[in-house]
Amino acid sequence: MQDEESLVRRAQKHDQEAFAQIYEEYFDRIYRYITFKIGDAVEAEDLTQQVFLNTLRSISSFKWRGKPFSAWLYRIAHNQVVDYLRKKKKAVVPLEENLASAGDNPQQAAERKLGIERVLAAARHLTDAQREVISLRFTSELSIAQVAEVMGKSQGAVKALQHSGIVALRRALSVTQNE
Amino acid sequence: MNKKEFDNILNECLERLLVKGESLEQCLQSYPEQAAELKPLLETALAAREASTVQPRPDFRARARYQFQSALKEMAAGKSRTSWGWFPRWATVLAIVLVLVLGGGGTVFAADGSMPDSPLYSVKLATEQVRLTLTPSQMGKARLCAELADRRVTEIAYMANKGDVQQVELITERLDEKLDLLVLIEGRGGVSLPGILPAAPPPEEAAAPPAPTTTPPPPTEEAQPAPPVAITGPGKGWGGRDADDQNSNQAQLRNTLASDAASNRAVLRAALDEMPESVKPALRRALAVSEDGYEEALDALE
Repeated sequence: MQDEESLVRRAQKHDQEAFAQIYEEYFDRIYRYITFKIGDAVEAEDLTQQVFLNTLRSISSFKWRGKPFSAWLYRIAHNQVVDYLRKKKKAVVPLEENLASAGDNPQQAAERKLGIERVLAAARHLTDAQREVISLRFTSELSIAQVAEVMGKSQGAVKALQHSGIVALRRALSVTQNE
Repeated sequence: MNKKEFDNILNECLERLLVKGESLEQCLQSYPEQAAELKPLLETALAAREASTVQPRPDFRARARYQFQSALKEMAAGKSRTSWGWFPRWATVLAIVLVLVLGGGGTVFAADGSMPDSPLYSVKLATEQVRLTLTPSQMGKARLCAELADRRVTEIAYMANKGDVQQVELITERLDEKLDLLVLIEGRGGVSLPGILPAAPPPEEAAAPPAPTTTPPPPTEEAQPAPPVAITGPGKGWGGRDADDQNSNQAQLRNTLASDAASNRAVLRAALDEMPESVKPALRRALAVSEDGYEEALDALE
């Protein structure tokens, strides 16, 4: 992606091409982030779309204050998730065909789906902060520094949460495997 | 080895494994003493990474892209709208009539006290915009901005108490906008002011790039920037008052702002202590915007 600052400035002036670039760059990452957070790949689609519509409406208010644009974008996604969870408070629905990739044969797709379902189910045993770190680090592929910006925490605190989150995830995975 | 050192090693291994594409064995060889503890954690991280293969369905992706492009075109087509275009038409008309013809009657009074969850809130915002537009002097506009910023903080605390994170964030942007505007008026005579006055040809100096604090207000249902308008050079907009009057007015405004800054900080901090965790990130942002904004405004008045 071209220089993010100039791209965002163009988007703030309603440059459609710039906005389209931002959309393509972040759409999948935001989708995966939301899926991991709510454990529902279908609901995550609608929430992801809402995040980008909210971004479109409010991008003019974004200001460069030393924080990357992605931190602001993930903040919007985070708020969307919090709102969703507060309103729904419902059981997780089964994952659908979202989990198969184009190159998978049926067996590979089934195995992949099972593996991802286990991880998403295990993720529900993490604290909110641990889930946020694991999601941003491993599904959205943000660096420790970027995660720290998004969460407003120090890098040391994020590393500690990453450690405790992986430990908790491992423990939860062991439990689900034994069930 | 303490926990912090282990956290750093784990993170380094994760970077090598997930970003640089090194194998699990390579990572473990670098830290033989910690290998037993690292191995299960790295395996778990790889499993978590597997969750990143989830993708939206192709038909949803196509539909979402189409909807987004439509919204983008709609917004681009509407960007030439003035400040008023973002209020409901009825609210704008009602506000102008009430302020101009009735001089502010009961409805304006009622709307003035309304909160963002009230049907009259649109009238309140539109009325504020009318008042800003009709206030002739720069000092008057600055005082009004201070008053409006103060209102926004009250609204933030109110909506936080209702647990409405989105409204807290939206009003925080409005607070930021009003404080920015105040800085612009007080600190930068001769620069363009968005969304305040009817369009007029800007003088040459208005063509200069805007200062970092001149970011346009968000395209919410509140204010959308009107075509930028230049304020005449420093001092011209002060209605011909002499320097002593100006200094006295500025000192008064400064006192008001200093008092508002302190009381609003206290209000937001108290809210931060009392509100549920879900609202706290938005409140922290509101507190940061308030503290930074008031500080910049006070600096501009120095």
